[in-house]
Amino acid sequence: MTEFEPKIIAFVCNWCTYAGADLTGTSRIKYAQNVKIVRFPCTGRIDFMLLLKSFGEGADGIIVSGCHPNDCHYTSGNFHARRRWIMFRGLLDMLGIDVRRIQYSWVSAAEGAKWADIVNSTVNTIRELGPYTEYEKVAGYLEKEAKQ
Amino acid sequence: MNELIKKAVALLESDSVQVIIGYAEGTGTRTRAIFITRTADCENLIFDSRCVQNLAVYLTKSEIKKLGKPAIVAPIPVLRSILQLAVENQITENDLVVLGITPQSELVDFESFAAIEAFLSTHQIVIEEKYQETIREIKAMPVTERFAYWVKELEPCFKCYACRAACPLCYCTRCTVDNNQPQWISVASHPLGNLEWHIMRAMHLAGRCTDCEACYNACPMSIPIHLLTKNMLQDVTENFGTYGPSLDKLNTLSSFKPDDKESFIR
Amino acid sequence: MSKIGVFICHCGENINATVDCARVAKTAGELEGVEYSIDYKYMCSDPGQTLIKQAIKEKGLTGVVVGSCSPRMHEPTFRKACQEAGLNPFMCEMANLREHCSWVHDKNEATTQKAIDLVRTLVEKVKLNKPLYSIKVPVTKTALVIGGGIAGIQASLDIANAGHQVILVEKDPSIGGHMSQLSETFPTLDCSQCILTPRMVEVAQHPNIKLLTYAELEKLEGSIGNFKATIRKKAKSIDENLCNGCGTCTTKCPTKKIPSEFNTGLGTRTAIYVPFPQAVPNKPVIDKENCSYYQKGKCKVCEKVCPTGAIRFDQEDELVEIEVGAVVIATGFNIMQPSEFPEYGYGKYKDVITGLQFERLASASGPTLGEIRRPSDGKIPEKIVFVACAGSRDPAKGIPYCSKICCMYTAKHAMLYQHKVHHGKSYIFYMDIRAAGKNYEEFVRRAIVDDEVNYIRGRVSKIYEENGKLIVRGVDTLLNAKPVEIEADMVVLASAAIANPGAEELAQKMHVSYDSYHFFSEAHPKLKPVETNTAGIFLAGACQAPKDIPETVSQASGAASKAIILFSKDELSRDPLIAVVNRSPAPVFSTCVGCFMCASACPYQAIGEELITNRQGKVIKKVAKVNPGLCQGCGTCVAFCRSKSIDIQGYSNEQMCAEVVALLNND
Ligand SMILES: Cc1cc2nc3c(=O)[nH]c(=O)nc-3n(C[C@H](O)[C@H](O)[C@H](O)COP(=O)(O)OP(=O)(O)OC[C@H]3O[C@@H](n4cnc5c(N)ncnc54)[C@H](O)[C@@H]3O)c2cc1C
Ligand code: SF4
Ligand code: SF4
Ligand code: SF4
Ligand code: SF4
Repeated sequence: MTEFEPKIIAFVCNWCTYAGADLTGTSRIKYAQNVKIVRFPCTGRIDFMLLLKSFGEGADGIIVSGCHPNDCHYTSGNFHARRRWIMFRGLLDMLGIDVRRIQYSWVSAAEGAKWADIVNSTVNTIRELGPYTEYEKVAGYLEKEAKQ
Repeated sequence: MNELIKKAVALLESDSVQVIIGYAEGTGTRTRAIFITRTADCENLIFDSRCVQNLAVYLTKSEIKKLGKPAIVAPIPVLRSILQLAVENQITENDLVVLGITPQSELVDFESFAAIEAFLSTHQIVIEEKYQETIREIKAMPVTERFAYWVKELEPCFKCYACRAACPLCYCTRCTVDNNQPQWISVASHPLGNLEWHIMRAMHLAGRCTDCEACYNACPMSIPIHLLTKNMLQDVTENFGTYGPSLDKLNTLSSFKPDDKESFIR
Repeated sequence: MSKIGVFICHCGENINATVDCARVAKTAGELEGVEYSIDYKYMCSDPGQTLIKQAIKEKGLTGVVVGSCSPRMHEPTFRKACQEAGLNPFMCEMANLREHCSWVHDKNEATTQKAIDLVRTLVEKVKLNKPLYSIKVPVTKTALVIGGGIAGIQASLDIANAGHQVILVEKDPSIGGHMSQLSETFPTLDCSQCILTPRMVEVAQHPNIKLLTYAELEKLEGSIGNFKATIRKKAKSIDENLCNGCGTCTTKCPTKKIPSEFNTGLGTRTAIYVPFPQAVPNKPVIDKENCSYYQKGKCKVCEKVCPTGAIRFDQEDELVEIEVGAVVIATGFNIMQPSEFPEYGYGKYKDVITGLQFERLASASGPTLGEIRRPSDGKIPEKIVFVACAGSRDPAKGIPYCSKICCMYTAKHAMLYQHKVHHGKSYIFYMDIRAAGKNYEEFVRRAIVDDEVNYIRGRVSKIYEENGKLIVRGVDTLLNAKPVEIEADMVVLASAAIANPGAEELAQKMHVSYDSYHFFSEAHPKLKPVETNTAGIFLAGACQAPKDIPETVSQASGAASKAIILFSKDELSRDPLIAVVNRSPAPVFSTCVGCFMCASACPYQAIGEELITNRQGKVIKKVAKVNPGLCQGCGTCVAFCRSKSIDIQGYSNEQMCAEVVALLNND
């Protein structure tokens, strides 16, 4: 049996975390290949519907990351995002969607090492949790069959 | 409720309003919403403990708007919805007469939305203990069991959207579920589609829902979707202070405090 | 149908060492909608770019994905190349195969697979890209400068000298601000009035500057390039065209005992007054609150004596509307009233004064004509104590921050005193000496060494009067916290510099943000120190934080140059990556329901309302509308809109969804 390779999608803002991840690259710090980044202008732009969509499309884990509080390029996008995350997380928890599968973080443009650490630790957490089979069962579903 | 009828007649006669939105006897022991445009029909107005439907939902409906300026019979839950609708720029003071009804079934006049807010400040939203208990029980389940519980609870949902139609705050002209560019939510009423629909619905009511239970009362399958919104209400209170619609406060989610607390962001 | 071109860069060996670039290009070529794909050693090089340009022309590409380094590095390069080949630049996207892939992973199958995933994701995105065009906004080349202290004066002169119109609004009867009250200035000890007055006169005479004194901003609407400001010109009760500034009225006015604001209460003025002799404009105003006629209905002496008949008791406030393209805020600061510190006895003992009052005593044009005489009995103090940090750096009772200017002006005060009272003794209680500035440390050294000022490191705990002396009690922390007691004749408190009262209200009128101390906030603490978070509104001087004159003037020139840059073109061109609210044909008009959640969330107040009317002009719908001049493209509004009626160009809902789906479906 091949080892489980978690599928993890990362939603990051352009100004801090995306740049931070660039720095991880320029500093040649290695991390796991499982995490792939989608670039957003700001954490304020990250719609909870996209996180939901990710699980529906088969993600085992999600990373959401942006500028530290007070450092938002747009001054307050991350403050708005934080409130939304607090509410979203509470709702998912109530519904039994495993909140450990979504890692929220603040990674600045100078924190290349922190980004590598967030990626690696999230990959480890998801590896331990295993594939998100409960959700897949719910999602594994008419459409996929229909596709084939 | 002679007083209510008298008031309604007076309002229509003086042409201060063109329609009265109120309650009337329905089939069996039930009550129904009634839209009165002629003084002669005012005698059908009733108010008693059976009148639980949230009439505020009609304030944003275009068919009702066409009838002219309304007066609305408004017990506490309706008053809360009115205030929230005002916060969200859906209604204005001049376009509406509010016939408030106290928990003691007394008629009260409200000069302004601010007066409604003042009145409501003595009638805060409280989540009943029995619901708190249920929520605690659900939250005590192990996460996979909890998930299974909800998948099962949501299973009967056939996406009739009666919950949406009954909620005074679901007044969008195009709901996100009806948007297929992109297709946000699987349209079919299979487990994934149902789960996504209810997560979306609850999130859209985060910090707005006034706990009127109209959604739950409307659901033909009696799915306990109100538990989701009640839980969110508790979360709002816990994280951002007490919640209740307020004219000079911004919506919970479109505002923030730089020092909002959380414990999960690394 | 999409015809996408995919261009995979080896970046020398930077990408190719761990990613199989040829295979990435080949796999991408098989994706639906991909017309052409190729890998090349250096895509950003001239031949690399030519490769892209040729493909666009020859294959008729509708979109381009470059798989190479970070878009933060070369996005402009490749977008420009596309534009040169006739493709809309916003039809080009980049997949980050270097920083986010080859550099952080080892060479193996998974790394190449990740690269393929990233490319596929961007291919799906670019299929949904739409051509976008920069947004053009016309610019009104007039600046509004609010506040006529040295900051406002400098900014006005700079902008006016660049050939643009300036409207300078000052709330007091004269411009000049705090600098006009100062005696001599550190670190050179040149006379403040002597360097300031010529500039004030220049402002008054400049053909491009319109000066509105005794006036305040009432309302500000619009956005960068096109603001509409409403200014309230308070009634001066004189006809400025007739008044020739002879001053007869001010000498004859019988109401003479009003404490002079300019002299910080150490002198008096009349009800009709010019704040100080060098005032600009040099024409009086009537202070209605203290005028006998306005208060009691009797007097009108000024009207009788005025040779030109310029007095107008019936004058009313006037509102004027002006159109401007940029705003410079230069409303300065204030000092904390030391009466908030009862232990210092300010207000109780006449000879405990503030630093600003000391400036007036030391000023040649001040109430004592520049002699240091104490307020109580006019005697020359033999012993004087200066208390630094009176309120500053004191989170418990005052303000937590450092007022920045006090160390320097206290050293200056002690020096001025020693120069004027040679046999006198001066003491300074201080916490630290902060003299970081050109020639500042040397200045303080001079005070200590040449002028023999006694610096005592420690705080003052109490000041009280005994036998006609002010007993100053404190500790000397450098001498093991030894208690010290000085019998002084006068005490000067360096009271903290704070924001102007009303700064908060003014900020709200202009929609600019302010910090918890009510100083206006810069857009970025390091890289945008003169901009506010509202485009087109700039900051100058002490309204942003306490500052000395050199710093104030540099910031003012900085703010002026920002306005001048804005005015250098007839049209503003902005990135089109902004939000738009959808519009559709009648009867829907827009799916927006006008809840304005988006508007309350927008950090830039960029969302306003649009009224949709029917043919009879009746309003049938109120919907949101984004002001393209203000939107910065964060997308915060988009995530709020429940009905998905507002979307952001370049990061649209459809595009982001497509990316998510593509990224997760690789099998
Ligand atoms: C005691 C003391 C001594 C000092 N000594 C020195 C020194 O020796 N050397 C040195 O470099 N610095 C010194 N400073 C600092 C210096 O005073 C400031 O750097 C300078 O005054 C800042 O200029 P400004 O134009 O920003 O603000 P201000 O001088 O405060 O000017 C602001 C102007 O805006 C006007 N205004 C305010 N609100 C409004 C409104 N709403 N609408 C219209 N107009 C408005 C005010 O009336 C005022 O004219 C000293 C400060 C103090 C307190
Ligand atoms: S309880 Fe249900 S119907 Fe009432 S406001 Fe909340 S979501 Fe809407
Ligand atoms: S009313 Fe009930 S069945 Fe209908 S959509 Fe809502 S939850 Fe589903
Ligand atoms: S765009 Fe959306 S959030 Fe903004 S007012 Fe319209 S419906 Fe409300
Ligand atoms: S994208 Fe950001 S700046 Fe633009 S309107 Fe939306 S919230 Fe405001």
